[in-house]
Amino acid sequence: MLRVDDLHAGYGTAEVLTGVSLEVGAGAVVALIGANGAGKTTTMRAVSGLLKPRQGRVLLGGEPVEGLPASRIARLGLAHSPEGRKVFGPLSVEDNLLLGGYPGLPRFFGFKAKADAELARAYELFPRLKERRRQAAGTLSGGEQQMLAIARALMAKPKVVLLDEPSMGLAPVIVQEVFATIRRLKAEGITLLLVEQFAQSALDVADYAYVMERGRIVTAGTPAELRRDERVLAAYLG
Amino acid sequence: MTAADWKRFLLVRGAEIAGLALLAAVPLSVTNPFALGLLTLLAIYGILLVGLDVTVGYLGQVNLGQAAFLGIGAYAAGITVTSLGGGMPAALVIAAAVCFVLGGLLALPALRLEGPQFALATLSFGALTTTVLNEWESLTQGAQGLQVPRPPLLGVTIDAAAFYWLCLALLAMVWISMRNLLSSRWGRAFEALRDSPIATDAMGVSAYGHKVIAFAIGSSLGGLAGGLYAFNFQYLQPQSFTYELMVILLLGVVLGGRKSLWGAFLGSALIVLLPNLLSNRLLFQLFSGIGLAVAAFAAVQGLRKKTAQPFQALAPVAAMGLLLVGSLVVTNTEDWRKAIFALMLFSVVVGLPEGVMGFAAGWLSRLFRVSPPALPAPAPLDAVLPARATDGSPLLELHSLERHFGGVTAVDGVTLTVRAGQVHGLIGPNGSGKSTVVNVISGLYAPGGGEIRLHGKPLPRGSLYRVAGAGIARTFQNLQLFGELSALDNVMVALKGVFHTPLPLVLLGFARLEERRAQAAALALLELVGLAQQARTRAKDLTYGAQRFLEIARALARQPELLILDEPAAGLSHPDVVALTGIIRRVHERGVTMVLIEHHMDVVSELCDVVTVLDGGRIIAEGDPETVKRDPRVVEAYLGASPEAAHEAAAAGG
Repeated sequence: MLRVDDLHAGYGTAEVLTGVSLEVGAGAVVALIGANGAGKTTTMRAVSGLLKPRQGRVLLGGEPVEGLPASRIARLGLAHSPEGRKVFGPLSVEDNLLLGGYPGLPRFFGFKAKADAELARAYELFPRLKERRRQAAGTLSGGEQQMLAIARALMAKPKVVLLDEPSMGLAPVIVQEVFATIRRLKAEGITLLLVEQFAQSALDVADYAYVMERGRIVTAGTPAELRRDERVLAAYLG
Repeated sequence: MTAADWKRFLLVRGAEIAGLALLAAVPLSVTNPFALGLLTLLAIYGILLVGLDVTVGYLGQVNLGQAAFLGIGAYAAGITVTSLGGGMPAALVIAAAVCFVLGGLLALPALRLEGPQFALATLSFGALTTTVLNEWESLTQGAQGLQVPRPPLLGVTIDAAAFYWLCLALLAMVWISMRNLLSSRWGRAFEALRDSPIATDAMGVSAYGHKVIAFAIGSSLGGLAGGLYAFNFQYLQPQSFTYELMVILLLGVVLGGRKSLWGAFLGSALIVLLPNLLSNRLLFQLFSGIGLAVAAFAAVQGLRKKTAQPFQALAPVAAMGLLLVGSLVVTNTEDWRKAIFALMLFSVVVGLPEGVMGFAAGWLSRLFRVSPPALPAPAPLDAVLPARATDGSPLLELHSLERHFGGVTAVDGVTLTVRAGQVHGLIGPNGSGKSTVVNVISGLYAPGGGEIRLHGKPLPRGSLYRVAGAGIARTFQNLQLFGELSALDNVMVALKGVFHTPLPLVLLGFARLEERRAQAAALALLELVGLAQQARTRAKDLTYGAQRFLEIARALARQPELLILDEPAAGLSHPDVVALTGIIRRVHERGVTMVLIEHHMDVVSELCDVVTVLDGGRIIAEGDPETVKRDPRVVEAYLGASPEAAHEAAAAGG
């Protein structure tokens, strides 16, 4: 569903990604793990078009999308839930969701009916958000904001969802809830690329994982294979 | 001095001395009064723009009031000579002093504002100034203008050449004192508060106070330039100091390059040459042609090396092309001057956002590779972070602390005691009030009720700066580093007990010794967190983990009684979490009391002596980590099933 080939990207003169290749099959959950500064977030930004790749290919459902503006890639079916959640703070929960659904909603006729259907689907997955749908997103707790960010990414029925650090700064009980949500999404057949510091938990939900170091993929394998790898075990799974 | 030191000295100071000598030698061979007049103006506008650069470049605020200060300085000097019978030195001192005071008075309210509002405040000040100069006829003679004689200096009549030398000497003095100021803790503070005013305050450096002083200094340079302006033209009119001049001054600073003395000087050359350029059609066509060629060359280079976006590369070419076409078609360029300024400003803002000097600096540094001065050896840690007694006596006491946001009660009667030498954990679900508690303690928010005591004495309320002064330092959950400053400078901004030189002596260059001591002290702290090798790296270029560690080193520079760490492990990968634990342990060994907010329970269990658990703004449990972890209320509200259990359940299910 998503294929990345020899991706190079960076900021200014600094080259951060030096040839990243990975693949996410339809309906699979793939984890990307590695130390801080390895380039995980940069990979996500280069894939979703927030950062222009300097070289390499990004294929979404077989179509090349590299170099397209982020808004266009989103319309083609790639949703990015960024690190630090980045919900629209002053807007209501419902407006946040509608903005996420915008790429998939009709412009004029039938907007209301379609939007309500999409909202109902989101609220079914995240009942907590329904309780808070009139509240400004900025006043939600960290865990609720994370749920909102994921729900917003799902609104447009994307082909692939990129989830960057969904557990960052969350209480342990909420982290467990986030992973339970990811498991639910997986059961629904949603294709996910996941960046996570809690490498153990990420491997628990993933079908396949890539390990990044200094801007490139150094190892890849199924969670079971990586857990047998002495080096990965020592460096990331401690 | 080493060879590298000599090379740097010769290149940097050599260029300045050669430039000054060249300018000073001109009147010996050139007697053309017109050329001499231009050079005099170059020196005067140089002083004016150096002053403007303090606010525009270093504070990053759009200041539209500098033309008004030029006018006020000019009239102050003129009136001193005509009405008070003062000499030139007295007139210049009064001009600078009046503008220092007025600048400070304007800054007091205006710098409470940010961005566009600040720009509007200075714009209205400019409008007000021209009106007052126009209408206060008894003092300024209004629209009819003020004649200003040029009094003799020490009994010597000042001819054009002597006056030029006077202006040049003052420019050199301003140049040297500003360089001294900007390379001292003052300059660092100016840059720091532009990146993060909150962190500047939290490091015990008053952001507001420094902004006001910076603005006053910039304005007083405007006043000094105004005084020289008065004696140069010997005739003053209020219309000379309107906002059209202000636009040209801004163009000068932006084109020359912000945050650079040479940039201000280049900008001043542009301002001086511009009117002459516009009055000569051939010269203007030539200038536009060169401008187009430079823009086209830069565009091709930028696109070929992929350092510039197509818009950034091509827009200046289009603007310069328009200018060239205009120069061939239009006969009276004077009438079109505003459009011409607009096109030039547009090209510069898009194509050369760092100005000519910003561009040239990168190029020159590749041409002459000059290593930065060697850093001193790190100071002994005992001197920088003296070990403290850890007797377990109450250090920080909160009593019935409350804080409300609108109708929401974020902190609902929290009472707790942090004992000297302990690491006190603060945990709880998201939204339970942990961050609000530390934000109230550290002065970011004022408490809604209750008491906070440090060593039994009430702590200042609602002021980061004053709480920092009382001995509490903190880090921030969402990093608040001074991104443009090096790691070393980040720590040096916060250093306590090193800087004693008063401002006038700093201007004279007496801060160098303490600067060296400060570097040694800051290096010792960087070494403590393992960043000594990256001392010269810009904070925003450090990896995420290193940025977290740098925040701790910076907070330690305050020699705090109490250090508050707000989620230091958030977003850190496993190896960095291990490094962080080591750092906190080393800091703990030096007897620094800490409050630690953290979600990584393994970090909390390993480091904390006591843990307080908050939920819904109230304390639900307190005790040693193992007891707290087994408390059923804590498990339900915060921990959920144990991580091991969750992991096993997942393994069984998946």
